[in-house]
Parts: sequence; structure tokens; C-alpha cells
Amino acid sequence: MKRILCLIALLFSLTTELQAQRRLTAQELNIGVTQEFENFNPLIMSMMATTYMYRMVARTLNVLDENGEWVPQLAEVIPSLENGLARRTTIDGHPMIEALWKIKSNASWGDGTPVTCRDVKFSWEVALSPMVSISEKEIYDQVKEIVIDEKNPKDCLLRYREAKWTYNRLATFFIVPEHLERPIFEQFGNQAEGYEQHSNYTRNPTHPGLFNGPYRISEIKLGSHVRFERNPYFYGKPSFFERVVVKLIPNTGTLEANLRSGTIDMVSALGMSFDQAIAFDEKVKKDDLPFDVNFQPSLVYEHIDFNLDHPVLKDQVVRQALLMSIDREALTQGLFGGRQPVALHNTSPLDPWFTDDPKKIKIHPFSRRQAKRLLDQHGWVVAADGVRAKDGQRLSFTLMTTAGNRVRELVQVYLQDQWRSIGADVQVKNEPARVFFGETTRKRKFDGMAMYAWISSPESNPRSTLSSKSIPSEENGWSGQNQPGWRNARVDELVFKLDLEFDPEKRLAMIHEILFLYTSELPVLPLYYRSDVSVTPKSLRGYKLPGHQFPATNHIENWTLVDGVNEGAKL
Amino acid sequence: MSDFKPKKLWQIVWEQFKEHRLALISVCIIVFLLMLSLAAPLISKVSGLHPDQQNVFHRFVPMGTRLPFSSIAKERSLDRFLKEYDLEAFINYFETQRFFPETPREDLIYELFETHQQDELLTILSAMPDYPHKLELLKLAKSQTTFHLLGTDELGRDVFIRLIYGTRVSLSVGILVAFAAAFIGLVIGSLAGFYGGILDAALMRFTDSLLSLPLLVVLIVVSAIDLAKLVEHTPLSFFLGNENESMIKMILILCLFSWMQVARLVRGSILSLKEQEFILAAKTLGARDHLIILQHIVPNVIAPLLVAVTLGVGNSILFEAALSFLGLGIQPPTPSWGNMLNNAQEMLQHAPMLAILPGLFILVTVMSFNYIGDGLQDAIDPKAIKR
Amino acid sequence: MMSFILRRLIQTLIVIGALSFFCFYLMSLMPGDPVDMMISSNPNMTSEDVSRLRELYGLDQPVYKRYLNWVSTLAQGDLGYSRTYRVPVTEILGPRLWNTFILSGLSLIFSLLVAIPLGVFAALNQGKKLDYFINFFAFAGISLPSFWLAIVLILIFAVQIPLFPASGTMSVGTDMTSFEGFFDRIKYLILPTLSLSFMSIGSFVRFTRSSMLEAMRNDYIRTARAKGLSRSRVLIVHGFRNALLPLITVVALSFSSLFSGAVITETVFAYQGVGQLVLASIQSNDFNVAMVSFMISVSMVLTMNLVADLLYGVADPRITYV
Repeated sequence: MKRILCLIALLFSLTTELQAQRRLTAQELNIGVTQEFENFNPLIMSMMATTYMYRMVARTLNVLDENGEWVPQLAEVIPSLENGLARRTTIDGHPMIEALWKIKSNASWGDGTPVTCRDVKFSWEVALSPMVSISEKEIYDQVKEIVIDEKNPKDCLLRYREAKWTYNRLATFFIVPEHLERPIFEQFGNQAEGYEQHSNYTRNPTHPGLFNGPYRISEIKLGSHVRFERNPYFYGKPSFFERVVVKLIPNTGTLEANLRSGTIDMVSALGMSFDQAIAFDEKVKKDDLPFDVNFQPSLVYEHIDFNLDHPVLKDQVVRQALLMSIDREALTQGLFGGRQPVALHNTSPLDPWFTDDPKKIKIHPFSRRQAKRLLDQHGWVVAADGVRAKDGQRLSFTLMTTAGNRVRELVQVYLQDQWRSIGADVQVKNEPARVFFGETTRKRKFDGMAMYAWISSPESNPRSTLSSKSIPSEENGWSGQNQPGWRNARVDELVFKLDLEFDPEKRLAMIHEILFLYTSELPVLPLYYRSDVSVTPKSLRGYKLPGHQFPATNHIENWTLVDGVNEGAKL
Repeated sequence: MSDFKPKKLWQIVWEQFKEHRLALISVCIIVFLLMLSLAAPLISKVSGLHPDQQNVFHRFVPMGTRLPFSSIAKERSLDRFLKEYDLEAFINYFETQRFFPETPREDLIYELFETHQQDELLTILSAMPDYPHKLELLKLAKSQTTFHLLGTDELGRDVFIRLIYGTRVSLSVGILVAFAAAFIGLVIGSLAGFYGGILDAALMRFTDSLLSLPLLVVLIVVSAIDLAKLVEHTPLSFFLGNENESMIKMILILCLFSWMQVARLVRGSILSLKEQEFILAAKTLGARDHLIILQHIVPNVIAPLLVAVTLGVGNSILFEAALSFLGLGIQPPTPSWGNMLNNAQEMLQHAPMLAILPGLFILVTVMSFNYIGDGLQDAIDPKAIKR
Repeated sequence: MMSFILRRLIQTLIVIGALSFFCFYLMSLMPGDPVDMMISSNPNMTSEDVSRLRELYGLDQPVYKRYLNWVSTLAQGDLGYSRTYRVPVTEILGPRLWNTFILSGLSLIFSLLVAIPLGVFAALNQGKKLDYFINFFAFAGISLPSFWLAIVLILIFAVQIPLFPASGTMSVGTDMTSFEGFFDRIKYLILPTLSLSFMSIGSFVRFTRSSMLEAMRNDYIRTARAKGLSRSRVLIVHGFRNALLPLITVVALSFSSLFSGAVITETVFAYQGVGQLVLASIQSNDFNVAMVSFMISVSMVLTMNLVADLLYGVADPRITYV
């Protein structure tokens, strides 16, 4: 017994010595994430945390930057009709467009091989192969042909199938190194999933030649961490931090403990839950901790889909009354400290297409009493059990969302209480995300309402969520995201025309018409626009949370420390 | 000789059990918790607190705080008030005084309560002319506060009343699961033990295989399956597909995977009983199988079964908490100790009491059940020496 | 004896086979497949994308066919490819097994070291204050929700008094080969080991105590005492030795958990073990990883059951195998 105590005491004293406080310097930056990551093959990666890290080690031709501007990365400039690098032509009477992408002369892979159009063309070939499990083909499929200029392989001419104005947004057109990957693709490309199982990204993930960004991977432990070191072959300015480590800590509570004990220096946007961040922000201000809690309104649109085939919810009056009766302002003030604004419709304030002009869209101000009157007028009478009914149909439905998402569960319970007060009986039913997204919403199996979020890039066509062709059904293999089942002929027409319209003014007018129809018919109940949160050390400069799906690591080479050294991440 | 009355078995057991002081205290604790959970609706009515009533502007308030009503609570109390009293005179007065020119007539009184703090409201009301029911109205305005003995949670709900309702849910899950599991175990164990042979081998291999599965992992898989869809168009669907679905599902899942120990236990004791004379005698006298099982074997395995049930309650409560921690437990808004604890774990550093209280309830309850089981074991086992 | 072992081995193999199908079938009942998950995160996927991927993954086939496919690749010694991490299963599972083994092994040793003396003490002092005290802690150990204890340990020993890292497996960039690497590893192991041990100490103490009491009631103890041997010698030599017998079974069974991992403790401490991997793979429908770890833990339990039975026979000459 005594011996055991001695041993424990010994270990204690040893660990206290080893656990000396780390100071944040230019040597190493430790970032915490809570979500899993996979291997780094950009063509098949699908997890957010992988995308977050991928942008540190590799870049695309262009990207949407943290200020919401499209900027070139591997490309010299973004081709456009105005600068003459893109032009509209017709082939066999079919209007199309072609663009010349010039790759930066000093852009090269981490082993010194230059990045050329051959890489672009090879990636495009791999992505279009039926044996490779790439999830979304359209970005590659829109390109009909890639022409390499043999004299100058840095010049890349892309011929697109159709004349769509979105042709020069290639942030998800990923490029893999031809010189390393072609032999593998040729050997295994004809087996199902053969390429991805044998690719260097899987078998040899720290090969420097796989990366063209400010960093390259020096160690990767799936499920644990990834270590990055500065890439001497990066085309841009060398980054400030010599090494970056991204650590996976799945539990948010433990994540916060790690931050406070100094094991990690910052928490990425894929980290704290919103509720936790609000509380942590208060703590930081109260105890003067050396952190900044960053809140950035994002493009994520939190909403409730009505199932428009539901006998009660197909009534537009009911939907309007349900919207008017919830105090969303109190919700965002009370629960979110006013940091997640109330949503008007599916377009976020960050999007240039946003409008809150009451002349262009329909706004439904909160008034519980008004909502009750509206229901009274339309024959929804309160019955003995306190629930309204009309023609024997009770005002009763289920509200479903993802189980385990705390903020959503809180909002759900809040809404349930609000609706109960106007005589609507709402049952709560939650499912794990995989079931909820994989089965329930996708196959429109929700009996009433489904609460979840969308993220869309700015100025993206809402076709997949609003067009009646996108209503998931057996016939279309349950694809499409028009889960409410909204059918509006005018909207169908507008979303079709939108892609082909090159005049921004006209596009805006079309979008506003869609938004007007959306806010008057209310196929979806808008809740709020979500904010991204991250925690950074007070001494970090040059960092900005972007709020859209292209993460802050796109400008990691600009992150620096004030005076080069942190004041010490003490408690 | 006529004075001698043989003591009944349960009397002997009870006398033995009383010797175990901690077990006795545990029984008191459990009885108290049971009464508390039975009285939950009554407590809710008397205190005016409701487990779902929220106040989002007053989240995480400390213990012993008095708070003003939320706007919905105000409106509800006014609704009730207006059903009872006629405030026509007041409303006319508001209208002539042009209190809220924009507001429709029938909303004036609501608007007044909504837009003013309690003290402002009281001054305004007392300054008004003495229309009928003024006293009652003043009383209403005064009563619009709630007292939160244990503070409020992340939605401004009262922690005290939620803990009481949580007790109700967690205890029912624990007790129902333990009894159901004991029943399944009893049936399977006695079938295997009594008939022996191939049936015994098959049932016991089945039991062993279930025992060898990693329990928590299997529970995670099973709770991800939508039982309601599986049992569609069967009588079972009656139980699912309503408000308590997640609770019933939890009970079903836990039952399915917690009867194995009981089955083994029952089988073991039946095997040893079978060899004893009184069973042989009954058999020779031509008693039917089910009679032998019911009259002779069941009474003799009841005692160890009881121990298994008490221990099972505690384990089920712990499993419910563990599944809640992984987000697969009882779904909100129904409070259970497990999901209250899970909701609080993120806020542990900011509002520690929210996690400490349900954790303490779990600890005390499970410990009590373990002590009761221990006491019962001592009492039943004739070989056990007094403590 | 040999025929007994052989028979049990064959039985065990059959059970493993049946269980593997059972698990496979259970997992296939969970709604939503990997392609469904992709669609939910990517609104731009078209119906062609969906059917193309489903065919590529073989998800369009019925369960039994997929199971047979899985078994046949397994028979060829190929554990398959992790759909989530997109690497071969062995690559991700290997280090995890090792990590879990270290954690569970350490906590098993630690809890036995603490629990056996405590249990013996309690039995020797039966009915006294010390007995009550030890019992109370043992009961507390079995009655605590494990994640609650883990979180409290982190709060106290990593945040309030920063003695140990709050979570993780080891510092980035160290390995076990050097002396520092070894100590670094230990530092990360202490809190999870403590939290895992607390529970098992509780049940081991209870078990040791009761089997010790049982042994002390036996006639030979009285005989030994009557022979004039000293009390302590009787208790230690005769009592404890006989109490060890049932303990062996329990320890053998605990061995089986060495590779199955503690889901909750590993999740809270972000410890890179099998438990955490199984949870993640179930949640993301990664059949190959989940099935392999399922099989490992099931086979371990069944084998250890067998071993426990055999050991019992070796230790107790009264038992013979037919």
C-alpha cells in the first residue's frame, strides 16, 4: 500500500515538471478541431475537417476569400469576359464558353515539380472516371475539353459545355499531381475504388509532392492529429508559423479544457458549440483570459421544412400563423446573445443577393395575438384539450431534428412551447444525424416539420432546394433537396433561366422575385442565420473567420503574432 | 404447542435485512424518491412550476432566485384571469386614454402587461380609477413571479421541478427494465434448467453469445435503428410512435440486452433444485410440469431473482445515463437524469451545479439500490454471517 | 481433456460465425448508408451521382450478399478498406488496438493491485469501521456514471490544477522509444487509467471480499486454526489461496476487454483507442472497421471464457473434463 502511494507521489512530481506552461511562438501553432478527418485525397474527401486542413497544404485555381471576394490562388488572374481571357463562342449552334487559366509561374508541388495544365487535365480525367468514388461530378463535368498548350504548359484552356456565368468559380475543382498519381491511376483505375485505395494520398500521405500550399504534411495520424511544416516551394509568401499541428478532440468540453490548459492555442470554426462559445466569451471577458472569441455571421441558414403534403401544414394560413407566433428575436437575444440574426429567407446577409426590403419580399412580424386571430378567422377553433382543430383535423404535427445537436434541441423545445401557447400541439422527435439526413429528410418521411440547416455559397442558384424537379422521389433516386415538396411554376422557370443570365442586374431581379414567392408562400419557415465561432489567441493577427464554406486556412500564410511572441497562454 | 407459529419466509428475510443498517437507509431513500416522483404533478401544481416552462432571458440563474414571468407565462395567466373576470371597464379606459394607439382593442390589456416591469405595472394599475376587479388585477400583477430553488438551466427552466420529473423518468426506466429483464430471464432460465437437453444447450449458447457482445456498442447500434419503422403494422407499434417513444424505446432496448445474467442464475438454481427430494416427490406423484415450475421452483428462485432485480435497476439507470451522454438517450423535452447531465456537461465550468445535481441523484440512487441488493443477499443467504 | 477443448473450440467458432452475421445484420438495419450521408452534406449531388456511387460501393446488393462478400474477402486475409478514413482497416486499427491494450492493461493491473489488498482487508475486518468504509467506496465506484467521473477528473487535474494533459494519447511528435517519450505517454495515461480503474476497483473489491469471506468459513480454516497455526498465517496461506480461485475467473474475463476498449472513457479523453474508433465507425456507417473490431472483442470474450473454464480445472483438482 505504502509502495503504491510512493509510486503515485513520484509520478505526480514528475508530471508537474513535464507540464511546464508552453508559450505560443512562431515555432508551432496548435489548433483544435472536434470533427473527424480522413485521408487528404481532395477528389474524394468529404469531411469538413479535411477540407479545413487541405487548404493549408494545397490550393485551387481560385477561391472565395475571407472578405467574400473571388481571388486567384494557383491562377495568375481569374479569366472573365471583361479581361478577355474568357470568350463566348458557339459550337454547332450551341452557345458555350471557353476560358484561359494561366497558372502562376512559380506554382509548384512540394517536391519542386511545377504545377501545370497537365495536372489540371489529369485531375479532370480522374474525377470523371466511373470507377472513382468522387461525390460531386458537376464541377468537373461542366468542362467539355481541356487543351494544353505544349509550348507553355502553364496555360490551360478550358472549354465548358454550356454558357453559364458561374464558369470561372473553380474553388472545388481540385488538382492532384499528375507526375505522382498517373502511374497509379493507369494501373488501378479500372478497378472499382482501385485508384483511391492505392493512391499516394492513401499509401504515402506525407509525400511532399502531393502538396502545393504554404505547408506540407510531415505526420498524419488519423483520428488524432496532423502535423504540418512549412513548404519551401510555396508560390506565395512564406508563412509565419514554422509548424502547425491540428488536433482532433471530439468532446467539446474536453476541447475547452485543452484550450485553457494550453495544450492547444486556438479552436477552429469546427470546434466549440455555439452555446459553449457564448459562455466562454463571458468567461474570457470576466477573467481577462488571453483569447479572442470570434463570431462571424455565416451563410448557414437554419430553417424548418414544412412537409407540404401534411394535411394541416399544406394550408398556407397555418404556416403563416406558425411563423408569426414565434418570437425569434427573443430566441436569438436570449439564447444566442443576439449573435445569430433572425432569418428572413434562404439568402444570408453575407450574400450579395440578400434583401430585407419590405417592398421586395414579404416580412411577417412577430405577434402571437395576431397569429391567434388569424387562426380564429380561418376556422381553427380551440377545442377542450387546448388544441385547435378545423373540420375534425387537429392542429398537431411532429417537429424533427438531429439528436445530439444541443443548440437545435434547445430551439426545438423553445418552439414547442411557443406553439403550444397558440393551441398547436407539437411533438418532438429526434433522430441521429445519419438517420435524419440519410433517410427521413431525404425521402421526405417527416410527418410535419424538419429542422436543419443549409449552407450555400454566395450567389448560388437555389435550384436544388426550390425547383419542383428537385422534390425527392422514387423516380429521381431520392436526389434533390426540395424536401418541403414546393411546386411553383414561376420559380421553376426562374431557376432555369438564372444560370444562363450574364447580366448581374437581371439576375438580382430574378432572385428577388423568387424570394418574394418564397416569403409569401412560406414552404419553409426561416429561423436564423447561423454564426461561425472560433477562438484565437489574443496575440494572433491577420486572421479572419470567413463565414462561408472556404475556411480561414485559405489565408494561413497571413496569420502572424503581435511582436512575434504570445504573452503566455496562462490561466 | 399451540403457541408456536412458524415464521413466514419473508418475515425471516425482513428481520435479517433490518440488521443491515445502510441497506435500511437505502430503502428509505428509494421510498422517498419514489414518493417524490409520484407526487411530481402535485408539486408542479402547488409550486406553479412546470418542467417545460422556459424563460430564455434568465438562463443559468443561481440557486434561490426570484424571477419575473416570461411573456408566454404572463399571457397564459392573463388568459385564465380573463376567463374568470370581466375587465371591460379597464379596457374602455385604456382605449379612451389612448394607451397603445396601434394595438387592437382586445390586446390592450396583454400589451400593458407585456411591456411593463412588475413595479411599473403596479404603479400604473394602482393609479387607475377603481373599476370592478381592480384588487384581483393588482394581485395578478403581483403574483407574476416564480421562485427557483435550484436555479434555472440552459433554457431558463426550473432545475428543481425538472429534477423531480427526471426522477420519475429515470426511476421508471430503471425499475421497468429490471422487472422486464427479470421476467425474460426467469422464463428462459427455467425453460433451460427444467427441460435440459437440446433446449438447454440452445438457450444457453444463445445467452452466452449475447453476453459476449460488447453491450454498450450493441446498444449504440440498436438505438440508431428506428424501431417504430421495424414494428410498423404489428401490435407493438401501439407503444411506439407517440410522445413517450424515446422512453419506451430505451426500455425495450435495455430489456433486450439485460436478461442474460438472470437467466443463468435461474437456470443454475433450478439445476440444483431439481435434484432435491421434494421435486422428485412431486414428480413421482404425477404433478404436471407447469405446476412443478410454478409451485415449487419459482418460489425458490424468487429470492436470488429479487437481488438481481435490485442490482438491475441501478445498472439500467447507469446505462440510460451513458446512452444519453452519447446523445442516444431519452429525447428532450422529457427530462431524465441522464440527459440533464449530458446537457450540462458542456457548461460544467460555467454552471457546475447543473451537472453536479443530476450526477449526485444518479450516484445516490444507484448506490442505494446496490446496498439494498447487498442487504437482500445477506438476508436471503442462510450461510451469510451477520455483519 | 483434448476432446473437450476441441469440442468447445468448435462451438466457439460456430458462435463467432453466427454473431458476425447478427452484427452485420444489425448494422444494416440502421437507416442511411454512406452515400446517403454524402448527399446530406452536398446539395449539388445529382441522382446519377447517387446511383453511380451506390453501385460502386456495392450497396445495391441485398444484405446476405454483402455479408458473404465481406466474409470471402476476410477469408483471403484482407480486412478491407475503411470507407470513412479511406485507408486500409489494418492501418487505422493496428495502432488503436495497441493503445487500448496499454490503457486497459494498465488499469487492470492498477485496479487489481489496489482492489485485492482492500478486499482482503475488508474481509479480515468484517463488520468493523474499515470494512464499512472500504465497502462504501467500492459501491460508489460501481455506482458512478463513468463519463461524469472522467469529466470531473479533467476539471480538477487538468484545468484547476494543471498536472496532466486534459486529453489525447501522447504529445505530437514523440514516440515510445525514448525515455521522454515513455514518460510523455504515462502523463497522458494517468487520468483515463484512474477513471477506468475506479469502477473496476469497486467490483474487484466486492468480489475479493466475498470470496475471502466464503473461504474463511470453510472447515479447513477451522482445522488449521485447531492445529495451532497463527491467525494471520492461516488467513493468508489458506484463506487467500482459496479465495484466489474464483478471482482467477474474474480476471480472465477482464482480460477479454483488453482489446475491446472503453467507449465512453476513450471518447471523453479523446484517447486513440478501439472504443472511440468503434463509436465513430458505427456513426459513420463504416462497416469494415466496425465489423472487425466487433469480431475482435467477441472472439476475445469467448476465448477468455474458454480459458477461464480450463484454468478453473487446473486450479481445482476436483473438476474433471469429460
